[in-house]
Amino acid sequence: MKKITLQYFAVLREQAGCSEERLETAAATPAELYEEVRARHGFTLPLSMLRVAVNEEFRDWSSPLESSDRVVFIPPVAGG
Amino acid sequence: MRRLEYEAYAALAEREGEGIVAEAVAKYGVQHAACIHRIGDLALGEMAVWVGVSSRHRAEAFAACRYIIDEVKHRVPIWKKEHYVDGDSGWVNCERCAQPGAHESHADQIVTPLAEGAHGHDHAHAHAAMTPQHALPDFSRQIALPEVGAAGQQRLRAGSVLVIGAGGLGVPALQYLAAAGVGRIGIVEGDVVEASNLHRQPLYGVADIGKSKAAVAAARLRELNPEATFAVHAERAGAGNLVDWLARYDVVVDCSDNFATKFTVNDAAVILGKPAVFASVYQYEGQLQVYLPREDWPCLRCLWPEAPRDGLVGNCAQAGVLGPVPAVLGAMQAMQALKILLGLPVEGAPALHVFDLLGMHWRTLHAARNPACDHSPRELQTDAIDPAALELAYPTLAAAFASGLTLVDIREPWERARDVPAGPIEWHLPLSAFLQGSTALPREGRYLIVCAHGVRSLALAGHLRALGYPAVYSLAGGLAAVSA
Ligand SMILES: [Zn+2]
Repeated sequence: MKKITLQYFAVLREQAGCSEERLETAAATPAELYEEVRARHGFTLPLSMLRVAVNEEFRDWSSPLESSDRVVFIPPVAGG
Repeated sequence: MRRLEYEAYAALAEREGEGIVAEAVAKYGVQHAACIHRIGDLALGEMAVWVGVSSRHRAEAFAACRYIIDEVKHRVPIWKKEHYVDGDSGWVNCERCAQPGAHESHADQIVTPLAEGAHGHDHAHAHAAMTPQHALPDFSRQIALPEVGAAGQQRLRAGSVLVIGAGGLGVPALQYLAAAGVGRIGIVEGDVVEASNLHRQPLYGVADIGKSKAAVAAARLRELNPEATFAVHAERAGAGNLVDWLARYDVVVDCSDNFATKFTVNDAAVILGKPAVFASVYQYEGQLQVYLPREDWPCLRCLWPEAPRDGLVGNCAQAGVLGPVPAVLGAMQAMQALKILLGLPVEGAPALHVFDLLGMHWRTLHAARNPACDHSPRELQTDAIDPAALELAYPTLAAAFASGLTLVDIREPWERARDVPAGPIEWHLPLSAFLQGSTALPREGRYLIVCAHGVRSLALAGHLRALGYPAVYSLAGGLAAVSA
């Protein structure tokens, strides 16, 4: 199991009810990790509308996750 | 003006001057530096200040020279008395020398060795013309910065910025750009001032409610800098006007509040090769991204290849916001735009900056150029479907039922449980199901999509039309508009 720090922004933060959580996961990729937390928090946005950053770099959804990675799920926002 | 007279508080002037020279040597790593300031009587055209720097590299020598002359003018206690032809005379604190417009020759004088002549001051002529000197802005506190200096101030004065949107982000962006002395500013904003704007757009007042934001903003900004030019475009930015407008500016600052405009601004900036500064806010959060017209620099579409459709991301009800959140982001946009105009490095590497002002976190997420994203010159894409053609308004829910269209409620189950509509809605398919790719809805039907306020339903109607559904409409104003 990997220990991951996960951060949410915008509507994901609202739906998760928190901006950050630490969790242990077997997810091999950010895509698997999103599916895991999406089910738990009831996220309405599909993965195709989001971006993921791992350790402050934008990554592909299929890139490998390592223990102690910092993962950020982020939707686009448009308010002005 | 006939002649000049300089007077110094010599002991302090020498100590301060030596300090400045030592700072320049340490700061720029040059070998030697020296500065001489004459005092007493000087005829017009005579050299007043001499700065010399020896250095292995030219760039450092220029920078050290500029630093020394700017600091001398700002810090060294030397006063200049101008004697006019008519026998009048007046003392000018040398800090004033750094005022742009008052002394335009600085920009050309960053040379080694640097000599500044006794050219006299334009504001002396203004004085003669009875224009009070305090009527013009004084930029000395920013000219004092080594990264700005008199030459930088001149760049700002010669620079131009197009600001898209004069709302929560646009107000502070416009105020700080105008206050900094940017010479030409374009304001694109089609809305009028509403009472609910003021808490986050304090450039406007209650007396402005109902007036064009762009016109009111221009009037207020002229008070900040009467020498600058303000162009008012009191209409919505779109594919039809943006390229023409932006072609006439150095930088675009996107302060719009919708994805359609943001991505059109992005495309116009990429096509024209103009730097663009984007920001958006959501409740307590903000996102900031700069596009620079460089081979390796990502644009908005590099990051978000599928431009989001307005209304599909976020909630139907208007998201709340506290004024300082867009204020922080708008001020940062002004900062980035000023750096671009000044020729300073904007940031080390391209990034999306994400701010959470509730938790006080700032994340810098590094982004890369997407090779699949087309940055070549091309025509601007336009939205083929006019949103107005997608909306149908009904006075009551019964009238909507009588329309013959099949009603589709796309609210999430928890919303529906809280507010059960009075009537036989045939389909209950939450928006999230559509976004996950649900194909449950048959293509051939004629549908009226309903949600709480009509924002998500309009977005989904556009989305389904784009997918090939021929007859999909959105209930204008949502269930809130027909619940009475
Ligand atoms: Zn791109």
